Amino acid sequence: MANKTLLVAQREYLDNVRTKTFWLGILAFPVLLVISIGAGWVLNKLKETQSYAVLDPTEDRLGERIERAARTPEVTAFAKLLQDQAKQLPESLQGRRQGLLDGFGGDPQAPNEEAVQRLQKLMLDLPASDLDAAMRANKGFDSARKYQRRKLADLGLEGKPLDEQRKALAELVQKGTLFAYFEIGTDPLRSLADFKYVSNNLTDDALRSWYADAATRVVQKLRLASSGVDPAVAKQLQERVYFREQKVGSSGAAEDVKTGEKANKFAPVAFVYLLWIAVFTAAQMLLTNTVEEKSNRIIEVLLSSVSPLQLMAGKIWGIAATGLTIVGSWVLCALFGVWLAPRLITGLDLPLLDIVGNPLYLISFVVYFFFGYLLYAAILVGLGSVCNSLKEAQNLLQPVFLLLIVPLVSMMFIVQEPNGTVAKVLSYVPLFTPFTMMNRAGGPPEVYEYVVTGLILVVSVVVAFRAAGKVFRVGILMTGNPPKLKEVLGWLRAG
Amino acid sequence: MDHALTLDRVTKRFGSFTAVSELSLQVPKGCIYGFLGQNGAGKTTTIRMVMSIFHPDSGAISVLGHPDAREVKDRLGYLPEEKGLYKKMKTAEIVAYFGKLKGMDRSTANLRARELLTRFGLGDWLDKKCEAMSKGMGQKVQVLGTIIHEPELVILDEPFSGLDPVNRDTMRDLILDMKRQGRTVIFSTHGMEHAEQLCDYVMMIHKSKLQFAGTLAEIKSGRERGIQLDYDGDGRLLQQLPGAQHVNDHGKHAEIFLQPGHDPQQALRWLVDRVVVRRFDYREPSLHEIFVRTVEEANQRLLAAGVTR
Repeated sequence: MANKTLLVAQREYLDNVRTKTFWLGILAFPVLLVISIGAGWVLNKLKETQSYAVLDPTEDRLGERIERAARTPEVTAFAKLLQDQAKQLPESLQGRRQGLLDGFGGDPQAPNEEAVQRLQKLMLDLPASDLDAAMRANKGFDSARKYQRRKLADLGLEGKPLDEQRKALAELVQKGTLFAYFEIGTDPLRSLADFKYVSNNLTDDALRSWYADAATRVVQKLRLASSGVDPAVAKQLQERVYFREQKVGSSGAAEDVKTGEKANKFAPVAFVYLLWIAVFTAAQMLLTNTVEEKSNRIIEVLLSSVSPLQLMAGKIWGIAATGLTIVGSWVLCALFGVWLAPRLITGLDLPLLDIVGNPLYLISFVVYFFFGYLLYAAILVGLGSVCNSLKEAQNLLQPVFLLLIVPLVSMMFIVQEPNGTVAKVLSYVPLFTPFTMMNRAGGPPEVYEYVVTGLILVVSVVVAFRAAGKVFRVGILMTGNPPKLKEVLGWLRAG
Repeated sequence: MDHALTLDRVTKRFGSFTAVSELSLQVPKGCIYGFLGQNGAGKTTTIRMVMSIFHPDSGAISVLGHPDAREVKDRLGYLPEEKGLYKKMKTAEIVAYFGKLKGMDRSTANLRARELLTRFGLGDWLDKKCEAMSKGMGQKVQVLGTIIHEPELVILDEPFSGLDPVNRDTMRDLILDMKRQGRTVIFSTHGMEHAEQLCDYVMMIHKSKLQFAGTLAEIKSGRERGIQLDYDGDGRLLQQLPGAQHVNDHGKHAEIFLQPGHDPQQALRWLVDRVVVRRFDYREPSLHEIFVRTVEEANQRLLAAGVTR
């Protein structure tokens, strides 16, 4: 008896797993994931250097100060790199390290201008590969190569009348030699109206806002100075309140929240999403396959050899194996990624890898996939057995899909309150148990909750299997219109 | 007597519709038995009950001596009316799969599937997918899947439908072959010539009720004889034959029934003068004629009884 179920399951599994599209589909997911993460990074890399010029009619050379302010973060970051991570530096820099750092003494946030200029020049002269290697490990270098200022002197415009300069710069923008040029307002103390940004690219706003941030800082300083406020006082006035994030650790005392820890709490969302996709890919596969088998009438041959229950069980287990193959492949991809990523990219955010490799998440993922699938499989196979075409099946599926929105909608909410009332209640609704419990894994829930919800889930699976069997037995040979709900209820009672 | 199949007053209803009503039938072992009837008469329902896909509402069915067909499932072969295959499976695989479902062990099933397919001219298709095959080839694959486990009783629902003459002959040879091996074959068909040529026994079911059952000779005996005529010429003239009661004209062949008291010899003389007679025979009516008349008579009876469907 069981032997025939196994035969059906085996055929079902091989039928799915042997096709190339199946494996392409499986691989598509992690590949897309990597691409979508990597694409932004790559695109940013590919972005061309944007050249700009600055038209500065002010007497006290405001443009130069803005430029320095704009470049300060990247230079200080670089200085910090020279200081802290000497060993990672290219050899060409090792020897000159100490000299370069002169002037960065006491407060690294306020280096002297000469030191900044010296370092900035070096950064621009460094071979791209060296700088890139340094940049990967540290944030704050983004603008170093992305935006490049062309001096008016280099453009042959130094000392010419303002109108002529404007005209020439406009031509350069038109030709594409310059991405944009800035014009500094003449009286920044009183009015900001004549600050201008001239470019033909209306969509890429990054350069403008980057430069505007720096200009704001400079102008603020100017205005504060002119109203006689002590810069130290001004800085103090402008300071924002920052609450240092802490939590109560296992020792019972408050301790700092580590990087990645927060991400770890949010990670279940990604797993819930994957779980959702996996459960429905598999359950839908089962439905499609049942309806197809019914509509091409192969079902009758099968039923002359196996009982309807054997057939149903065989199909469910066969597709369960298919689904586990999908989920297993994803888990393997994740583990492989965790292993490969640090070897491929240096200085990667390691906490992310801890999340992906978190055994609680991975095991919950596989186990909840299995039981979630079984529950939905029983429902969909029952549904599929009474339908003659996929179209009919889709109509009947709509109410099921309505239910399915719940775990998606509540996903963010539950992750924020993993032990809240909503999360707890949903955990005990068998249709939502797999998703909710996965969602709460960051909490994590109490052991008793795992046990009780698990038991409810298993009992529901058994009940759903029984009910599906009764419907399947009658429905699978029916032709014509799908039965009314009343009839189906009749079958359930009769069996 | 030893029967492969016995039905005892079997009735099956679907809601208010009676598909099979009080059907009793005995199919002796080792014969070829034809199930005749119009579409929707109840043939397929009967067959499904025999295969224990449906269960009768009342009455008893005994298959190969067992009251419950499920016990002997592995000794039966069944080709349903609507034939489907798994499109993505290879032909040898699917035939072997059907065999395995009937309890054959893996290697025997694989071996025998390839052997059967090769024997029936599908040697080049062993490792090709079913979706690539023509309808006739697909049907052949299905039949082979039906008989791979050498069943004692084979039930074929409309095995000839959709087949070209060559494949029909192959199917016929297959059925005859099974009979020679001592198996019992039941098939349903709309093609009266197949039933007439192949069957030891036939039964006819009309609107859920059995109309007749027995050997061909039994069924034909006692029925009014008629003229079997092969001819060339204007068929409309046949209608004017003096004493003709009923003419089935097929264009080149006609079946003519005379009113009582009219002499076939005289009819022949009359016919020779008007059309080119290629063959003239005076004998029992064809199964085709019996079928058509049975339907007409049954409908009249039902009408007279005021039964409307």
